[in-house]
Amino acid sequence: MTGWWDDYLWAALTVAKVFVCSLVFMVVFGLSGAAAKLSSSKPAQAVANAYTVFFRGTPEILVVLLLYFGSAVTLTAVGRLFDPSIRFLDIPPFWAGTIAIALVVGAYATETFRGAFLGVSPGSIEAARALGMSGLQTFVYIRIPEMWRLALPPFGNHMLSLVKDTALISIIGLEEMLFVAKQATSTTGKPFTMYIVVGLIYLAFSTLVTGLTMALEHHANRHLRAPT
Amino acid sequence: MSTQTSPIIRLVSVGKRFGDFEALVDVDLEVRPGERIVICGPSGSGKSTLIRCINRMEKHTSGTIVVNGHELTDDLRDIDAVRREIGMVFQSFNLFPHMTVLRNLTIAQRLVRKTPKAEAEAVAMHFLERVRIPEQAAKYPAQLSGGQQQRVAIARALCMKPRIMLFDEPTSALDPEMISEVLEVMVDLAGDGMTMVCVTHEMGFARSVADRVIFMDRGRLVEQADPETFFTRPQNERTALFLRQILRH
Ligand SMILES: Nc1ncnc2c1ncn2[C@@H]1O[C@H](COP(=O)(O)OP(=O)(O)O)[C@@H](O)[C@H]1O
Ligand SMILES: [Mg+2]
Repeated sequence: MTGWWDDYLWAALTVAKVFVCSLVFMVVFGLSGAAAKLSSSKPAQAVANAYTVFFRGTPEILVVLLLYFGSAVTLTAVGRLFDPSIRFLDIPPFWAGTIAIALVVGAYATETFRGAFLGVSPGSIEAARALGMSGLQTFVYIRIPEMWRLALPPFGNHMLSLVKDTALISIIGLEEMLFVAKQATSTTGKPFTMYIVVGLIYLAFSTLVTGLTMALEHHANRHLRAPT
Repeated sequence: MSTQTSPIIRLVSVGKRFGDFEALVDVDLEVRPGERIVICGPSGSGKSTLIRCINRMEKHTSGTIVVNGHELTDDLRDIDAVRREIGMVFQSFNLFPHMTVLRNLTIAQRLVRKTPKAEAEAVAMHFLERVRIPEQAAKYPAQLSGGQQQRVAIARALCMKPRIMLFDEPTSALDPEMISEVLEVMVDLAGDGMTMVCVTHEMGFARSVADRVIFMDRGRLVEQADPETFFTRPQNERTALFLRQILRH
């Protein structure tokens, strides 16, 4: 085990970075998808439906591979138009992987956000409009906070999915924890030890995320508790 | 009320359709500043639709509505100008559940009127005192009784300093023991000369406060009169039937 700690630490840091970046993209994809599904525009609804059907119905590891190699093939072809000596161009595995898992989990988040928006009480929206608040003000100050409270429990699950999905990115060569464990196994010959360490680190991440979700839910539901 | 004052609300042969269904038919109504109108009628007769057209929560589909000199059209500036002059109180309170009582009262002042925070909070506390619950400022709506929530909702509307208050069955969702605390606040408001249009079946309130009582049925204003005439000598058979039904309770 000794001699590998710094590799694991580095890999864990990579996982944390992937998680944070994919979380941001996941929220953006989820909110856009929900907005499109709830809009009155038929083309927007069709695109959002295609998005959720495809990404919820395809194995995630395949999405990672398709996104990475698909973009690499395209980039290489385009690059060769300008410089025929180019042999291979790709998006860095970090970004290809981050976006791939954000797209997949974002498809689930689309449904979560859509449901939560529909759950916002029409009464508060009406009251805001009657008070003269604009559509945008109503959205930002009333709709989003109320939607958020409803979306939080499933959203916590989406965050856990992201944590676990980071492991998939080793397949396109990102040096995250599984990648390190594999290397360590081949030199030390101790696969179980090397993989159990990965397991424990993931467990620590998940625990952290679960704790965060609980704290957020506690805050979001503060108005339902008896006064102190 | 002097009949010379020009009306603050004027509806001229207003109609409202939802698809093929006519919710309002040929409604003419003038409300003078300071006047207090009570509207009653069976469920589905168009009472809510009528007052919701006055602040354009619903768009009327024919006729003309002029509020405080602004004609209600699709022009956004006119709608905003009109909504600033009108406070609305709903049957189900419609407080913002995720905000404290104080923030419920300051948010629109700050966003719509651009009032500075300290001033908005002072205004809020003033009106919370008017509705007699200043001690609840830090609580959330779900922590209050129905009667308290409705009083907060009234205070929230008053914070915008409206010239007109619309009430849509403000006591219908309340337990009987809480109805009077809300009605008292409304009586106070009437005493201050606020222009009020109230949909309510609280006939005691109508008798003591209203200048005019209107009976609606199937989207039409069937009858209007001062409370004394309305309750003792209703002209229309449907009004008389309706009064017999609700006064039996
Ligand atoms: N948004 C709407 N779409 C279709 N029909 C509506 C809508 N709002 C109200 N109505 C219909 O209009 C009629 C009058 O409704 P409303 O004004 O709420 O009656 P009231 O307040 O007197 O009970 C009812 O028959 C109701 O079903
Ligand atoms: Mg109604």
